Amino acid sequence: MENLLEIKNLHARIGDKEILKGINLVIKPGEVHAIMGRNGSGKSTLSAVLAGNSNYEVTEGSVTYLGQDLLKMSPEERSWAGLFLGFQYPVEIPGVTNVNFMKTAVNEHRRQKNLPPLSAAEYLKMMREKMAYVEMDPSFSSRGVNVGFSGGEKKRNEIFQMAMLSPRLAILDETDSGLDVDALRIVANGVNRLKTADNAFVVITHYQRLLDYIVPDVVHVLYKGKIVKTAGKELAAEVEAHGYEEFE
Amino acid sequence: MEGFRYIPKKQLFDCSVPLTGARKLFVWDGVPEGLPFESVSDLDCAVDFGISTRVERIRYAPKETASAPKATVIVPKEEEITQVISVRVSPSPLSERTVIDCPSEGKYNVVLCSHTVGQERFSTKGRIEIHVAKGASLDLVVMQNENSLSRHESDYRIRLEEESSLSLNIVTLHAGNVTNRIHSLIAGKKATCNLNGLYLADGQQIVDTDVVLVHNAEESVSRQLFKGILDGNSKSRFEGEVVVSPAAQKTEAYQANNNLLISESARASSDPHLVIYADDVKCSHGSTAGSVGDEELFYMRSRGISEKEARILQQQAFAGTVLEKVAHPELRERLSRLVEKRLRGEDTLCAGCSKRCC
Repeated sequence: MENLLEIKNLHARIGDKEILKGINLVIKPGEVHAIMGRNGSGKSTLSAVLAGNSNYEVTEGSVTYLGQDLLKMSPEERSWAGLFLGFQYPVEIPGVTNVNFMKTAVNEHRRQKNLPPLSAAEYLKMMREKMAYVEMDPSFSSRGVNVGFSGGEKKRNEIFQMAMLSPRLAILDETDSGLDVDALRIVANGVNRLKTADNAFVVITHYQRLLDYIVPDVVHVLYKGKIVKTAGKELAAEVEAHGYEEFE
Repeated sequence: MEGFRYIPKKQLFDCSVPLTGARKLFVWDGVPEGLPFESVSDLDCAVDFGISTRVERIRYAPKETASAPKATVIVPKEEEITQVISVRVSPSPLSERTVIDCPSEGKYNVVLCSHTVGQERFSTKGRIEIHVAKGASLDLVVMQNENSLSRHESDYRIRLEEESSLSLNIVTLHAGNVTNRIHSLIAGKKATCNLNGLYLADGQQIVDTDVVLVHNAEESVSRQLFKGILDGNSKSRFEGEVVVSPAAQKTEAYQANNNLLISESARASSDPHLVIYADDVKCSHGSTAGSVGDEELFYMRSRGISEKEARILQQQAFAGTVLEKVAHPELRERLSRLVEKRLRGEDTLCAGCSKRCC
């Protein structure tokens, strides 16, 4: 089967600081990958680079997404092509309501596919359906994007947005951080409902906790900007039990 | 003036803002058309500001407009929207005077729109006198939509009596060089004075706002929020003074001026200040000037919202916090749409307008 994503020898830096030092990773449709690592190992940098955050500079290597050079695409082009990043720290946008934000996003996606924009009623129906995935109260739609949301609500909002855009490849950057067990279960259920044979997920996390709910096919350990170990789901339990010391 | 009289005015100008059920008055170059309003020469709504040295200066500033012979006097009716549409078609300089008198308890809604038709260098000096009687509540929206060559100075003279309230929202959608001077006196206790402004400028446009708000009675609240979106080589200047007199204990006064600079060459200057003579008060003031947030922009783009759309969303959001102060839902919705069109660089001018000024 065609690779969804292929990362070869990826190096990236922010300012003078090199953070990614040669990442190699292949993701196929239908797979769930977990990337584990300590703070500062480069997990968030990897997701930011894949989403096209211009604060990071790629100095070497390549990323191919569905046969295209991902690194040449703008953040919005990546989104249109089916890439989604669930932010570790979702951004608050005061004054832009959730409904206006997602409606604009959904309709921009449709415009790229030469589809007419959704009518208000069609959008509302879709929104209510996807909000139910993450047990989100419809009243959130009229609030400013992430403004005044609790940590758990912000993460649910990320998964809701993912459901609305139904991406081919979703990267979830520490979606579990700051969540209590109930919120964790809700978020994980949302992800599991969206899983198909055609799409793939990269779950970035510190802990095994989330991986009890979203079961990965492959687990990678990231250490100092490199993937130092790749194995099956049992690796997560091993990391949880022994920490990251053995990789030092 | 004579020339256009032979043309049905509807063909010259048809405002897109008129509201359902609003009582409308067209004022052509200072001359009201239609009968529901009176025009008098001797109505005096003088405002005595009392303290503050800066106030003295302003108090005598608009002499020439104060001496304008006629005033359009508006006595709004409760539960009805009064819309005054002032249209300039003749290029000769004009002084006009409008009096809004809310005589008794009740809720009043007034919309003032000013427009220019044609490409001439219109010069308008306006004086708007507002009196809100005891227990009355006035919601006043001012819409300024004029050509890039126009010069418009407006002096707002406001007097609020006991337990009255005013919500003034000035939306400067398009203008050449506009000055809004607002002098507001809270004369009676437990009054509320909300002054808000949104100005959108680009090209060589200049928007000046000058506010003097005097609390001269106790337990009153004032809130000011003025925001500008500046593009091109446009400039804005905001000067705001809140004076709390010794008699105005338990005053709450808040003032903010925030500017969003879209281009490198746009300029905003801001000088908010408080002069407080009472000791039991809650007051704050502040100003900001900034560009769009990169983090927000990236977040939106990562969801597939193009950079252009993302910027427009941000600007709409910025403007929205002022527009949401407009209480009337239909008017708020219309203003939001006009602002969006303006931000998108689409023509916001009223249908039927012949001007080609930008």
